[in-house]
Amino acid sequence: MKDLLQEIWSNLRRNKLRTCLTGFAVAWGIFMLILLLGAGNGLIHGIEGNSGNYMANSINAWGRTTTLPWDGLKEGRRISLKDEDAIRTKEPPFDAYVDEVATAIYQSGLTAVYGSEYTNSFLMGVEPGFAAMEKLELMYGRFLSDLDMREQRKVVVMGSNEARELLGTSDAREAGLSVREKARKARKLIGKFVNINGIPFQVVGIIRPDERGGGSRMYIPMSTLRTLYRRGDTVDELYFSFHGLKTKEANEAFEQAYRKKLNLAHRAAPNDNNAIGIWNRFTMNMEMEGAMGIIRTALWIIGILTLLSGIVGVSNIMLISVKERTHELGIRKAIGATPGSLLRLILTESVLVTGFFGYVGMFLGVVATEYLDKISQNMVMDVGLFQMTVFKDPTVGLGVCLGATLLLVIAGTLAGLAPARRAAHVRPIEALRAE
Amino acid sequence: MLIELRDVNKTYQGAQPLHVLKGIDLDIDRGEFVSIMGASGSGKSTLLNILGILDGYDSGEYRIDGTLIKDLSERQAAEYRNRMIGFIFQSYNLIGFKTAVENVELPLFYQGVPRRERHRRAMEYLDRMGLTDWAGHYPNEMSGGQKQRVAIARALVTKPDIILADEPTGALDSKTSVEIMELLRELNRKDRLTIIVVTHESGVANVTDKIVHIKDGVIGAIEENSRHDASPFGETTLMK
Repeated sequence: MKDLLQEIWSNLRRNKLRTCLTGFAVAWGIFMLILLLGAGNGLIHGIEGNSGNYMANSINAWGRTTTLPWDGLKEGRRISLKDEDAIRTKEPPFDAYVDEVATAIYQSGLTAVYGSEYTNSFLMGVEPGFAAMEKLELMYGRFLSDLDMREQRKVVVMGSNEARELLGTSDAREAGLSVREKARKARKLIGKFVNINGIPFQVVGIIRPDERGGGSRMYIPMSTLRTLYRRGDTVDELYFSFHGLKTKEANEAFEQAYRKKLNLAHRAAPNDNNAIGIWNRFTMNMEMEGAMGIIRTALWIIGILTLLSGIVGVSNIMLISVKERTHELGIRKAIGATPGSLLRLILTESVLVTGFFGYVGMFLGVVATEYLDKISQNMVMDVGLFQMTVFKDPTVGLGVCLGATLLLVIAGTLAGLAPARRAAHVRPIEALRAE
Repeated sequence: MLIELRDVNKTYQGAQPLHVLKGIDLDIDRGEFVSIMGASGSGKSTLLNILGILDGYDSGEYRIDGTLIKDLSERQAAEYRNRMIGFIFQSYNLIGFKTAVENVELPLFYQGVPRRERHRRAMEYLDRMGLTDWAGHYPNEMSGGQKQRVAIARALVTKPDIILADEPTGALDSKTSVEIMELLRELNRKDRLTIIVVTHESGVANVTDKIVHIKDGVIGAIEENSRHDASPFGETTLMK
């Protein structure tokens, strides 16, 4: 092995410039591959980060308007969900899949006032379990409790942006402050009373701004909202988490059965897809993951094609090298080199050249992605309504590096194959004559 | 017999097939010092290539020490060449980017001899050629005679059965030519090496003990030359 390496080294040393230029093509190819994958990962992580605060396995259901006549009733009838629907959700056969059920009601078009400041308010009456289910992130204070529910307390939890507005500050006035510092100001509102359409609510908690949009949501106990706005037992939205539905087909079958059950309970046609709205985050995520997979695959393909031009370069140069060395290879054969030994010589050279320069490229690529990570830290796009992280953690993992290593070895072998075969089949008589 | 050729025929296929060797019969015993003479186009190079297992033949039989050399795979041919045959070429055919000793080591490398042992044996043969001091030099730093002696050392280092020399003095001046031929004669005498020299120079052939004349693909005459009086000027016989 050591002899083989020495043979290769002495050959490469004779052609320094050529070796370096060839190597550059490979290094560039793998550098681009790593950089592309890193940037792609940044994009994907950014998107995933935005959807990260949704619970992965959950379904929302809400009442809509029927489009089919059924049971003697005309189409165009408004359906509203009731408390019983939450119970129905836990009945067989759904109980095998459904974990937790939560309900919520809304009251929109309200105004919250604190001192001389005011803001629009969208009240959401929820149960205490809602926070965990929707992954609401508490910054200060507490979320709603069972006691709040039972006693129908007038307490409210709101986002830090709304809290800041009520405190009379805004981004324009606090330019230069970090997100964290701005949020800290919102803390002052805890324990204070805010008037929402004339009814005083005590602020008990501040949550992290909701990047998903939906405007300024404020959370109060569902029982409080029902009593204040005489909402009876209607439910605007029903949430439940589930498990055990692995495939898209299983999810669709479940949704269909669930829809049928709710439809019939509300005297709507079982096949009326418009009577009840159903939004399945699990299949949404699955589709999103599919899209991410496509992006990732596309990046690999582009990267590999870039690398391919480098490999073709190596192959080309090796062919020229073999042609130049025909005489030498002929001598080797005349004094007893087997075709196999020459094949090994050229293949090893090819793998070493691609491998070495590939690693240089990979190293530089990793350095570049780390640099990208540094300068793009929390690159946030503000679309007014909400903020979106577009680029996050644009680095490649160990897996990609291992994959790229494997790719390099394969690439080197492929690049060396044609030249090595040619070397192995040099005919000594012709080679010795060619001088 | 070390070398037995029986009715060996070789035709080069092409637009016009060329029948180069037309039934060669030749026996060479161990320890003989033989030259094969002929004009260019006589088929002597082809014969040498067949003897050196660098090329195949169409019909007939070629045996080295009883082993039939026919239709070998490239791998087998390489092994036989490595073990049985040592080549000396007109143009030395040393590898330019290797030192003298590395060139001599190369056949042993393909035999899988360990590095240290390889070096020791190569140095031993370089020493016999009087080139110990030149072991670390590259071919382009040496004279033609020195290069040819390195090539001879490389041919000898595997202790082959046959030494094949293709115009070994072709690129040398007359004084060096004499030295190289004397060296070959000495190797033949002292080590009982079988040496076959292909040449078109009668002076070179005259050093050998037996001269095989080849013309138009057939063996014309086999001349015993133990007294070494075949005229270098080609007066006596079929020599040009």
